[in-house]
Amino acid sequence: MENKNIISIEHVTKRYPVGDGEFTALSDINLQFKKGEFSGLVGPSGSGKTTLLNIMGSLDSPTEGKAIVMGRNVAELSHKESAQLRNLHIGFVFQIYNLLPVYTVFENVEFALLLQNINASRRKKMVMDALEWVGLQDMADKKPSKISGGEGQRVAIARAMVKRPEIVLADEPTANLDAKNAHTIMKTMRQLNKELNTTFLFSTHDEKVMGYLNRMIHLEDGKVRKDEPIEKPQYA
Amino acid sequence: MTANSKISTRSEPPRGAITRLAFHLAYKNLMGAGLRTWLSVGILSFVFVLIIFYQGYVEGFYQNSIDENIAWEYGGGQLLYKDYDPYDAFTLQDGHGKIPATDTKDLVPILIRQASIYPQGRLMPVLVKGIEVAQNTVKLPTQLLQQSSAEYPVIIGKRMAASVNLKKGDQVMLRWRDKNGSFDAGNVTIAGIFDTDVPNVDIGQIWMPLKKLWAMTDMKGQATLFIANNNYEQKNLPKWKFKTQDELLTGIRALEKMDKITGVIIYLVLLAIAMLAVFDTQVLSIFRRQQEIGTYISLGMTRKQVLGLFTAEGCMHSILGVLVGFIYGVPIFIYFTRQGIGTPAAVDNLGISAGKRIFPDFSPELIIGTAVLIIVSTTIVSFLPARKIAKMNPVDALKGKLQ
Repeated sequence: MENKNIISIEHVTKRYPVGDGEFTALSDINLQFKKGEFSGLVGPSGSGKTTLLNIMGSLDSPTEGKAIVMGRNVAELSHKESAQLRNLHIGFVFQIYNLLPVYTVFENVEFALLLQNINASRRKKMVMDALEWVGLQDMADKKPSKISGGEGQRVAIARAMVKRPEIVLADEPTANLDAKNAHTIMKTMRQLNKELNTTFLFSTHDEKVMGYLNRMIHLEDGKVRKDEPIEKPQYA
Repeated sequence: MTANSKISTRSEPPRGAITRLAFHLAYKNLMGAGLRTWLSVGILSFVFVLIIFYQGYVEGFYQNSIDENIAWEYGGGQLLYKDYDPYDAFTLQDGHGKIPATDTKDLVPILIRQASIYPQGRLMPVLVKGIEVAQNTVKLPTQLLQQSSAEYPVIIGKRMAASVNLKKGDQVMLRWRDKNGSFDAGNVTIAGIFDTDVPNVDIGQIWMPLKKLWAMTDMKGQATLFIANNNYEQKNLPKWKFKTQDELLTGIRALEKMDKITGVIIYLVLLAIAMLAVFDTQVLSIFRRQQEIGTYISLGMTRKQVLGLFTAEGCMHSILGVLVGFIYGVPIFIYFTRQGIGTPAAVDNLGISAGKRIFPDFSPELIIGTAVLIIVSTTIVSFLPARKIAKMNPVDALKGKLQ
């Protein structure tokens, strides 16, 4: 594991306007993540996990402080630079998979590569490799509506991983899955983390997910309450 | 290599590739949307076909009218005596002059006089038109006058024949005045009945040999007007004014213009309805597909690219609409171009030169112009609601929070 910080959160505060006032979702957060981490932001609903994840994914920007991702301050990026950062370096896995319903499994996974102007034959190989990682190479031609929830989330993982990003941000990836599928998904991601040295950051309050993490950052009311490294994860 | 430099050194697709990608994705989204797509496409194709059909019909209607008026009445233009105004019946009495001794080659002289006929004992005012029987400038069958051995042979149109209940070979009393105003009368014989789409040479008129009319009215060498053939070269003849074919067709062209303006209003209304459907689909798409938009952005599409994608989807609705319109419209256009469309009998009595069958004129310009109009309007209408995407917060989009 490299020592260099791949993500650095410095005094990040995020406030949202609510009615005439403001709601503070994050308050003076300071965190660093190194390449290859398998970490999680844990805490109850409303603790600021997803907000922090969105800032790290350059989908949102902090009200105060700096979020440095891959050496770039996300608040200073233009729309185009943000898009490029996400397209090339960050993969997202969402709670409800967010697969594009009119595309096949193959096309869903292929999408990010289309934006990178990669030629068709290389694209096909990369997509099939990604589907193989998640064990869905036989489902390539199916539409998302024809596969199960667990398979849908595995497609989402393949979609996030196909471009070999440095960071994968997973927002409650197991929330809609049963225990068996949740473990399958987590094992897949753990394996990819080890094989490709991809940094995985989760937002979760699922204990099954927590059982795989090497580091747990406890958030409460937008503040870091505890940042604990886990030497021996339960399911490692 | 630092992470920072890594971002900037990766290549991004060229603009052409992004456009191709937008259309590729738009096509997939449209096909995936199923019935919703085909409803919009159906409306657009219907509007496309209807606009072309209406405009083609109007074009064909007036082209037929122009062709028939040239063939039966106007020829290559008319030379009118200076005191004669075709729109003022009071000028008929004195609106005639001596046929010039020279420069009348390629001109067919016509003398017009007022008279009355008495079919079945009724009195009916008519215009008696004397025409050079050997002419072939207009389609009036004047050879029938030449062939007849009757003392006063005349030809009349089918409308006139119907209104006075006369048929070929019938005789009817004609009462006219000579140049001094003295009345005279005689039985004219119907040498032939012609069928024309031009009521102006038919209703209330009887045609007879010019020389016979000269003799009847003692107006030898006089004419009210001349019809020029296509070889006629305009010359300056004192007391005569030349009206070109275009000048004579001004009235028809004015009517055509008015009908086309009506057509434009109709098709703007149709287009507006179709655009409303597209606009509605787009607005619905943008709000129903917020999470999809958020996903596109999270996968690395810029807002501009997503905007392009939705605009391309709208544009492709119209392209598909035009293609579908072509598929079922072209056979319809070909059928009606060949078979024509029957004109209601009522139109015949309105004094409009309408053929019994109108052959619509679906010109390539009309078809291509309409296709371009629909595609451009749809693209603009698709772009307007899609602009919302440019202002969309990706986090709100992913949550489907936008109202």
